[in-house]
Amino acid sequence: MSRPGFVLEVDERTPALLIHEGEGFRLEKLPLGSRVVYPPESLPAIRDLDARIRDALLNPLGCEPLPSLLRAGMRLTIVFDDLSIPLPPMRTPDIRQRVIEHVLELAAAAGVDDVELIAGNALHRRMTPAELKRTVGERVYRSFFPRHLRNHDAEDRANLLEVGTTKHGEVVEINKRAATSDLIVYVNVTLTAMSGGPKSVSVGLASYRSLKHHHNVHTLRHSRSFNDPPNSAMHHSYDRMAGVLDEHVKIFQIETTVNNDTFPSQLGFLNKREWEWSLKDQASYLAVKRANDLTPVKRRRQIWHRTAAPYGITSVTAGAPADVHQVTLGHVLRQQLTEVNGAADIGIWGLPYICPYNVNSIMNPILMMSLGLGYFFNLYRGQPMVRPGGVAIYYHPVRNEFHPVHHPSYIDFYEEVLAETTDPVAIETKYEEQFANDPWYIHLYRNSYAYHGVHPLYMWYWGAHALEHLGQVIVVGGDRRTTARMGFRAASTLDDALEMAREKVGSSPSITYLHAPPLTMADVR
Amino acid sequence: MILTLEYYRSPTRYLAGRTVTGSRMGGRAAGAFAANMSPLRLVNRPDPARPADGWTRVRPLLSGICGSDLGLLTGRNSPYLSAVISMPFTPGHEVVGQTLDELDGLPKGSRVVLDPVLGCAARGVRPCPSCAAGEHSRCDHVTAGAVSAGLQTGFCGDTGGGWSRMLVAHGSQLHPVPDSLDTEQAVLVEPLACAIHSVRRVAVPRGASVVVVGAGTVGLLTVLALRECTEAGPIYVIAKHGHQRERARELGATEVLSADRAARALRRATGGFLAHPERGEEYLLGGADIAFECTGGSGLDTALRLTRAGGTVLLSGMPNGAVDLTPVWFRELNLVGAYASGGRDFPHALELAQQAPLKGYVDAVYPLSRWREAIGHANAAGRLGTVKVVFDPVRE
Amino acid sequence: MGLMREVRVLTAGRDWRGRSRTPRSAAAHQPPEEPYEFPTGWARTTAARVARRGLQRGVLTPLTWSTTKPQVEGRELLDSVTGPVVLVANHASHLDTPLILGSLPERMAKRVAVGAAADYFFDARWRAAVTALVFNAFPVERYRSRRLRSLAPRLLANGWSLLLFPEGTRSEDGWMAPMRMGAAQLCVTQGVAAVPVVLRGTYAAMPRGRNWPVPGRPRVVVRYGAPLHPAEGESARAFNTRLGQAVAFPLVARSRRPASPAPGPAARASLSVATCAQPRTG
Repeated sequence: MSRPGFVLEVDERTPALLIHEGEGFRLEKLPLGSRVVYPPESLPAIRDLDARIRDALLNPLGCEPLPSLLRAGMRLTIVFDDLSIPLPPMRTPDIRQRVIEHVLELAAAAGVDDVELIAGNALHRRMTPAELKRTVGERVYRSFFPRHLRNHDAEDRANLLEVGTTKHGEVVEINKRAATSDLIVYVNVTLTAMSGGPKSVSVGLASYRSLKHHHNVHTLRHSRSFNDPPNSAMHHSYDRMAGVLDEHVKIFQIETTVNNDTFPSQLGFLNKREWEWSLKDQASYLAVKRANDLTPVKRRRQIWHRTAAPYGITSVTAGAPADVHQVTLGHVLRQQLTEVNGAADIGIWGLPYICPYNVNSIMNPILMMSLGLGYFFNLYRGQPMVRPGGVAIYYHPVRNEFHPVHHPSYIDFYEEVLAETTDPVAIETKYEEQFANDPWYIHLYRNSYAYHGVHPLYMWYWGAHALEHLGQVIVVGGDRRTTARMGFRAASTLDDALEMAREKVGSSPSITYLHAPPLTMADVR
Repeated sequence: MILTLEYYRSPTRYLAGRTVTGSRMGGRAAGAFAANMSPLRLVNRPDPARPADGWTRVRPLLSGICGSDLGLLTGRNSPYLSAVISMPFTPGHEVVGQTLDELDGLPKGSRVVLDPVLGCAARGVRPCPSCAAGEHSRCDHVTAGAVSAGLQTGFCGDTGGGWSRMLVAHGSQLHPVPDSLDTEQAVLVEPLACAIHSVRRVAVPRGASVVVVGAGTVGLLTVLALRECTEAGPIYVIAKHGHQRERARELGATEVLSADRAARALRRATGGFLAHPERGEEYLLGGADIAFECTGGSGLDTALRLTRAGGTVLLSGMPNGAVDLTPVWFRELNLVGAYASGGRDFPHALELAQQAPLKGYVDAVYPLSRWREAIGHANAAGRLGTVKVVFDPVRE
Repeated sequence: MGLMREVRVLTAGRDWRGRSRTPRSAAAHQPPEEPYEFPTGWARTTAARVARRGLQRGVLTPLTWSTTKPQVEGRELLDSVTGPVVLVANHASHLDTPLILGSLPERMAKRVAVGAAADYFFDARWRAAVTALVFNAFPVERYRSRRLRSLAPRLLANGWSLLLFPEGTRSEDGWMAPMRMGAAQLCVTQGVAAVPVVLRGTYAAMPRGRNWPVPGRPRVVVRYGAPLHPAEGESARAFNTRLGQAVAFPLVARSRRPASPAPGPAARASLSVATCAQPRTG
């Protein structure tokens, strides 16, 4: 029986609590009266996964069983989520591999031979062959790569098709092969309430022309939060686009959810509540922390990025996207949602080493901002964890380091754009077009493994809601110059950070710390 | 007898300097080497004698230390130049001084600035074609005539040089300094004249994009000259130090870039693709129209990598060390040299110096006795926040 | 000294065993307590047996015999006992176990394991260790909420005789309480004999509440009965009744000495006999 999430109130009996900090973590004694939001304990995984997948495919929601949708001579396109999900990457065999193998078996049985697999990476970087192999498995890779297994190319004008326009004037333009298929089977992993559902095809296979309708400052500021689809302007836009897509193409959506087994058993103490740490947990905490601190930065990064999460799958649902997504969201919230009473003056978030856009890569300062002020800040339902004008405290070293192959446009964004202004609206007005249409960035996106030129700006917009909402952002342990460039302040300890926050929130503020990872969503009343 | 800093012939020291400062570690110690191990000594020597009529003795008020002087002392200068110097000589070619003899049109005691080039007029020989055309920086007779071989005052054994209490100069070399110009700013007139000369060496089309590599004295004055004497468009300056950025902006630079980000930033500004060779710095397929190389060192490599195909790279500073010339061939670049000044550059420089914001460029004045410190300071000028270091020979 | 600081932060608020208190607001969400069985296997190793023999013969038995005046009867009935048996005794005092262990024949005393209450004797680690070592005790759950698999069958299978007190607790008032089914079930299912042991006078000598016998060397009696074998097809309940009778009314000549517990009202009601109560003589 896994225990529900709850809000701890720090009292004299509470030991120091664990806070993640990039490729590392620390124990911090929070002031008395601080509240800490703990996620529900990890739900048990489905034991017979293959049976469950088969069952889902044969008994989908809202449409006929998959075998009856498959017939010889049809064009079938299987689209799957790219490597930005789940985080950290799950242990092989990946769930997508298993689902795709099942689907391909059914397709082969029905005599389908025009099958293409496309990674739904939108404006993310292309996946390397090794990464593709890890996701779809050796068998599928060998049978389909390179001619029938590829990444989506959002800048390949010849292979994009404008499917229609929503009644708000939003252009829906997606990958041509998918748009002209008889059936799209989308294999999804829904890690947070933001992904899946209408987002899968309409965003994963889209082009810049389509994406700019919802990936902009205005929409993101009106997504409160973007992990809460009913209250998210972004998701309303996705729904409209999905509506247009439904009229033109048939989508069979297969969604899966994972539990909260984020860390391998050697790091089991990261998944446990601190006052329940046994002596063994404490010893391994000390040993791991020491070893980690003594390892040089590059090696540390390699080690952390090589860990795979022992995620268990908690649900597999298939069928019509809207019906499936309702069920999936239920599972996600069951695993992540915790009720919190009221917003606080100060919110604390410990940022881990990985975000969707630095898998096998380096977390640069802009990604830190999007992880902290974007993803983690928006892990709420109702109202943000911090009151308007409150202070956010993040833990992360914010090193001034960029991956030159994966994030070339980020480097220029940091050096040139942020040096001039950090206001998302000003950035959008002055720079978005340049970055989106720069031929060199497009060249690198299409031929190298780089994120699209406009991607760093999207990352900045991701935190636009938070930037508008918060009074101040302080980064504990952050590099001074880098944080100053982004408009934040740096503190070396929590006490200094609270001291700095005093101007905004007074000397006895209420504090809430979101104890994530593992992923937690605060339902703030 | 006058106090003078004399550069004497010492092949061992020259070679030692060349090898030590050539290595990576030695590069950092170059200043220390130049100050302590170079073949330079402070001695008392007889006054230099006027070689002919038309020459006057000049008492230097301020003498600058130039990059070429530092190159001389560290041994980085090429042996090519050994044919056009005569040792021992007193270095120092950026001189503001006071005449001690009467000359036509130049009364005794006038404050003058020295044009150091020893052309046909000064040497008293029949003018070579270049001198006849007014371009005495291209003189062919620098080894003949009234004085020994010497491309400039400051490299000639008979004329003396700025780093002493007296030198001799021909009337054609001297330009009176107007009263409105401080001596400290007057000492910048010679490098300014060289800068003006360099920007006139190539046609700078209206609106052309220019990159100036290096923001020491030469670089900064090149920016000034580009703004005042040409119709250049955006000027990008690659500067290493904070104070240099300030000054570059003051003089009209569009944007100041740091050396490691230069390629990317220039790409954003001028368009083009960035190429990454396996060995060596990244370069642009694209880039600026014209590049001015003002460092006299590694800047040339950078300049060659940032200029667009068919563009021009101008060498303002004396080059030292080898450079990969592949970009010159592959991108069909024009490689142009600019040395000293000629024609009406000096009068123009005098005019410009009166209007330009050149205050505070000379902020380190040393007496001759503290020459080692002066040399060390000059070598690390950028890092120490100084643009130009000068000697005040009169001071004790 | 980063490591020292780390250790300090980690151990602040934790006790010497590394356990932290649960914060108040987390109390409602504590995980259910795992039933923990104190391991007693080590107490049956040779080294422990040697130590125990020393402790019992050197300390426990002399102490018991010096503070009370025990009278042992019926020992000869144990001569026929081979193999493991279940010794079943009434329980009125902590003196019971030392008296039995001290009076058993050597060969049996060496191979006896005593069933002791898990919640009392095996609560604190140190007490558990001492009890296991000195008495060769093993934990017996007496409150059914946390049922552990009992060690008893395994011990019997390994040749250990068991000493059990089926009343489940020491007598409150000197009278016998109804005997629980456990011992009888054990005998019936494992097919071993039960040896009834009757203790008289221990309640008076050291009742509940006293940690030392009353002064004056009170007289106590240890009476062994003939081994009872469960009959073919006899139910545990029936066997239990027989056992109960044997313990309450031993068929051995009684002593006229004082202070013998009479069967309590419940036992009396279930028995069908007459003259068994010993008169209390002063």
